[in-house]
Amino acid sequence: MNNLPLPQNDTNNALDVSRRDFVKTSSFAAAMSMLGGVPLFAQEAKPAAAAPAAYDGPTVKCALIGAGIWGREILNTLARFPKAQVIAVCDSYAPFLTRAKEAAPKAEGFTDYKEVLKNPAVQAVLIATPTHLHKEIALAALAAGKHVYCEAPIANTIEDAREIARAARDATRSYFQPGLLLRSDPQRRFIVPFVRSGATGQNIKTRAQWHKKTSWRRAAPNQERADALNWRLRKDTSTGLVGEVGSQQIDVMHWFLAKRPVSVTGFGGILFWQDGREVEDTVQAVFQYEDGTSFNYEASLASSFDSELEVLYGSDATIMLRGNKAWLFKEADSPLLGWEVYARKEQFFNETGISLAANASKSTQTDQGKGQNEAAYADPPLYFAMESFIENTELIATGIEDFVATFDAKDTKALRDYLNGLQKSKKPAATYKDAFEAAVVTIKANEAITKKGVVKFDPAWFEI
Amino acid sequence: MKTLRTLSLGALALACAASLTAADLAKFDSQPGSKVKIDGTSNIHDWAVEGGIIAGTMELDAAFASDPTKAAPGKIAAKVETSMPVRTLKSGKSSMDSVMHAAMKQPVHPKIEYRLTELTLKETPKSAEGPILLESKGELAVAGVTNKVAFPVTMTRAGKSLKATGTASVKMTSFGIQPPSPKISFGLITTADDVKITFEWNTSAAEAK
Repeated sequence: MNNLPLPQNDTNNALDVSRRDFVKTSSFAAAMSMLGGVPLFAQEAKPAAAAPAAYDGPTVKCALIGAGIWGREILNTLARFPKAQVIAVCDSYAPFLTRAKEAAPKAEGFTDYKEVLKNPAVQAVLIATPTHLHKEIALAALAAGKHVYCEAPIANTIEDAREIARAARDATRSYFQPGLLLRSDPQRRFIVPFVRSGATGQNIKTRAQWHKKTSWRRAAPNQERADALNWRLRKDTSTGLVGEVGSQQIDVMHWFLAKRPVSVTGFGGILFWQDGREVEDTVQAVFQYEDGTSFNYEASLASSFDSELEVLYGSDATIMLRGNKAWLFKEADSPLLGWEVYARKEQFFNETGISLAANASKSTQTDQGKGQNEAAYADPPLYFAMESFIENTELIATGIEDFVATFDAKDTKALRDYLNGLQKSKKPAATYKDAFEAAVVTIKANEAITKKGVVKFDPAWFEI
Repeated sequence: MKTLRTLSLGALALACAASLTAADLAKFDSQPGSKVKIDGTSNIHDWAVEGGIIAGTMELDAAFASDPTKAAPGKIAAKVETSMPVRTLKSGKSSMDSVMHAAMKQPVHPKIEYRLTELTLKETPKSAEGPILLESKGELAVAGVTNKVAFPVTMTRAGKSLKATGTASVKMTSFGIQPPSPKISFGLITTADDVKITFEWNTSAAEAK
């Protein structure tokens, strides 16, 4: 059945580290220069921390549930934050658990997530199991009073996603963050005002793509394990490329545009990986909006050409995002913004891209030695998402501690008001609402792809 | 006769003083929804941090608490002990918060504490709801250093609730806190020593036991 080459660095996430490495080290940026764009940079992150020196500050005690490739990526990222203390790792598959314990040597290993939730020392739970297993664990974790990070998509059915969103909404004492990583990404956050302020003129259309030559199939020692591991390739457990990978870029586009689609038309097929899988290896979803504009999402496991990108086409200018870089391409007749005269520019074939870097003003003082193709910061979106999760969990956990030390712990409304007051101290991250919205949009897009037809969005589907 | 009158006046005064005991104090408990704001400035821009928890109790002369419009200007029997967790003070930027909490020696002195030593009614209020204008003297403990502070306080009443608001000006250095100067600024950013503490403390009459 599986006679195709196996991927060496496959993950279930679009925004994996290898992509960043690729952008940093390949001649990709040079190639882009030949096309001519102005990079739009985000503020430089703190340099990656060296081995944490003896840290005696406050900690957030974490447990990882689901220690596959992505789960271990989470562990490696958490290890960069002295405040994040991983005290438990859980996986029902022994070899994964062994590898997770190598990544988090001080953590206790568990094969049953219920045992993890029973441990009162565990404050925060990070769920990186297959999508269809999220609901049971997320609901149990919230019920146990844990703070929860749940990978995106949060579920493979709208009903399950709604149950998780409701539980997250009602859990006053828990911080919930879904794995929509780009919401925490400084470069994406830097672009939002450009889009929203009308610097690009009227939005005409948008496009996002994820291209990678990889089978998505995981190697396993036996058939049973192969079935469990390859849940992404089955229709009953997977949300397809558009959901499992597309959630990230589709969510970020809807965030940029502050729009909700009215319909989605799907295309796709198993064009290359004829290995008995059920899920399309190449897909296209065209979302349409009330104002007549559209957003074309394309993904393929059969071609790696042009990798990943997000493009917002405007009547005055177009913004292109690739990994941790972004550029603005102006129309000849667009008004002069002023700042772009001083900005870095790159040539992209026949176009000139103006760099949109969040740290552009700082870079003149500190980054003079940097090459033009160097990105503003090197950390992947997961780093910023984990930073937000740890910081926000601590904020909410200490907020609750301080509140109940003074006031009636049963006064849920007053506690909720107090915690809402802490909002502005939160680090940017996606919410349960964002996760539910993204789940509805991508699950329905996957439905459209499966039937190769149109799905009209019913506003009632979006109600939590 | 004159001696007797003096004596009886003295006895009356003593009796009054004796009556200023806990038994005649009305107790008010801290409620959620309070606000504390510390405003400061630097040579670059103004800054502010805010907190939302004031713990503690306020006890006021029972007669004054039940009808402040009958009280004459002068000292009011009162007992106030409050505290605020340092880490509840937030600027909206977590990196600045950790610098501020460290400057306030948060791990060793996790609370800012205040104890009232004297409360004076400035004028008889026209309405029981207030505003009731008072002058306060007390002791403020920050980062392990206790200083005497004096500032005006305004109280307002609504049913069982009593809100006390006020503003105090203090110097960071008087509490042994060096105004932070971020290292990255090479001394170019200097924070001013003077800060203004504004509070709005919500309390409610304690249930009779």
